[in-house]
Amino acid sequence: MGIFMAFQHFRAGNRLGWSNCHAIICSRLPAPMHVEFYGVPRQRAGIAELDVNAETLGQLLGTLAERIPTLRELIEGEGLNSAFVANLNGDRFLSDPETALAQDDCVLILSADAGG
Amino acid sequence: MAFGYHGCYLRIDASNGSAKRVPLSEDVLRQYVGGSGLGVHLLLEEGAAAVDALAPEAPLIFAFSPLVGSPLTTSAKFAVVSKSPLTERVNDSLASSGFAIAGKGCGCDAVVIVGKAPQLSVIVIEDGEVHLESAEEYRGLSCRETEAALRARLGNYRVASIGPAGEKLVRYATISHDGRHAGRGGSGAVLGAKNIKAIAVRGSRRTEWAHPRELTALSRSLSQRSFGPATAKYRELGTAANLLVFNRFGALPTRNFQSGTFEQAIDISPEQLAVTREKTRKSCMACTIGCEHIYSNGKSGVRMEYESLFALGSLCGVGDSDAVLRAAQRCDELGLDTISAGGTIAFAMECVERRWLENANWLKFGDGNALLRAIEMIGARQGLGDLLAEGSRRAAQAIGHNSIAIAPQVKGLEIPGYEPRALQTMALGFAVGARGADHNRSGAYEVDFSEKVDRRNVTLDAVEHAIATEDRAALMDSMILCKFLRGVFEDFFGEAAQMLHHVTGWDATAEELRETARRIVRAKREFNLLAGWTPSEDALPERFLNTPLPNDPEAALSRERLDALVAEYHRQRGW
Ligand code: SF4
Repeated sequence: MGIFMAFQHFRAGNRLGWSNCHAIICSRLPAPMHVEFYGVPRQRAGIAELDVNAETLGQLLGTLAERIPTLRELIEGEGLNSAFVANLNGDRFLSDPETALAQDDCVLILSADAGG
Repeated sequence: MAFGYHGCYLRIDASNGSAKRVPLSEDVLRQYVGGSGLGVHLLLEEGAAAVDALAPEAPLIFAFSPLVGSPLTTSAKFAVVSKSPLTERVNDSLASSGFAIAGKGCGCDAVVIVGKAPQLSVIVIEDGEVHLESAEEYRGLSCRETEAALRARLGNYRVASIGPAGEKLVRYATISHDGRHAGRGGSGAVLGAKNIKAIAVRGSRRTEWAHPRELTALSRSLSQRSFGPATAKYRELGTAANLLVFNRFGALPTRNFQSGTFEQAIDISPEQLAVTREKTRKSCMACTIGCEHIYSNGKSGVRMEYESLFALGSLCGVGDSDAVLRAAQRCDELGLDTISAGGTIAFAMECVERRWLENANWLKFGDGNALLRAIEMIGARQGLGDLLAEGSRRAAQAIGHNSIAIAPQVKGLEIPGYEPRALQTMALGFAVGARGADHNRSGAYEVDFSEKVDRRNVTLDAVEHAIATEDRAALMDSMILCKFLRGVFEDFFGEAAQMLHHVTGWDATAEELRETARRIVRAKREFNLLAGWTPSEDALPERFLNTPLPNDPEAALSRERLDALVAEYHRQRGW
């Protein structure tokens, strides 16, 4: 499913089937990595998760900004606005745009103030 | 006297309604600012540490701040400070809105209440004049009903009140105003023990600002920033947005901390609630953020915060959103702290499962009706509710079977919605917290959600970061500003110094305020030492030590690691 279709899917009211609402970007490329959105980033993206090809965090964010314009407000230059953070596989938080990503990685994007 | 202050507090004896104004020196105000800091200082002056929290002579303090009444966003707040009947240690809880402005308008920087009224009463304060009126007709009424009835009777007063739980001395009863609660640690029981159902305030005495023009400009800038991305989470989803995040990180306490993930998390998430229910938004007075998200539940609306959602949802294994919303609503009406109510009930559910608690087989994880029944019984102190009204630590002592190992508390205060094994800087914050396990006095979870540490394997490097969040909270709670603003500051202490300068005229510096924050943390410790604190209290229940989370073997916290973190914390504090 292309990202435009994913938006249509979301707009059509299928806002809850997070696992079904799984848009695959660049689906011609093999084994893309996975991105999950939480909270405000999910609101902006209009989807909960998608697959995308990228070799670094900076590339990943660049691709997201290009494909999902509503995410641009979260992204500054090659990194995230300080109100948001990225996490790799639920383990490590990342900010360096040069951080290398592997194909099986899962990048989580969420608000920086996780508690409260 | 500095601008922004009245330079005195009102000391009220509830046994006869008498009141006197006690001067506050500028030196004391500069050292403790207001809110929590001023409240703890007054508590120490009153010798409260040595007195039983529910004794008539135990003081209960409402403390305002120099910022109250100013145009600074989120500044309409007050602190309620006392010895906690739940922990027997210091307790400071904060609440918002018109009560702070009207209370300060009575011409005082704090109100100290001692004594016990002969019958259930309301303390009425108008411009500093005090009298007692009977509140017997309000016995058993919810906080909201009491507020409405008193406003109908007295006119345009602001009212802080207790619900039935406070009257029954439930050890985690709240004091409520305008739908918000000074929630943790049982200040509602302290007021109930004084036979005081409510305090009604009305006042028109304003304080001047030292530099009004600069203050207005700074307020504008702060408000502007409060509309930006740093507060988007609170505006758009509220704190409930944490639920799915924490679930993903294996940090969502579930079934009395037996797991860090909840299979029905999506069902009670704000993302789901917003789709299936009407939602409205509200804010405290003088706030430009507006984090209150109110969901329809039948004919009424229920304000839903992450802490209520986790405590009455995943912690009790309840994934039925109707039941969770209803439970939160009943806690609000009864005047119960949702974290302690949910924590104590979840603990009892596990005790039932382990057959340690007899005659309560109905109390099962996942059963929304059982949750609601338990809440009613606690509010009325009926049957099993009488035991659970004591909190999980006292209940564990009564139940035996070494159930204290699974009682989800530190110093007697039930643990908020952060699984300590998955968020180990927060584990330290909980262990050393002066009022017990607490996410508002230590923001150590922010460190876990950053590049600074490996959250499941923290080292001593985490300690200075944890201390920094505790110091920032101490100052924010004393100035008083809402913590949901914290993300908008690049240099909080520097901006705080500017705010205080424009309000009070003091040439405060960031470094002075850092020392002020440390002084306030030290004052809380001093209170606890006087109240009998021992080093063994700075710890977590056995459940969390040496046993990894079942769903995440990497989330393991050894006793040795926690002990080392606590020792390093004490060393860095100079204790
Ligand atoms: S952000 Fe929320 S809690 Fe803070 S002052 Fe505003 S409405 Fe109240």
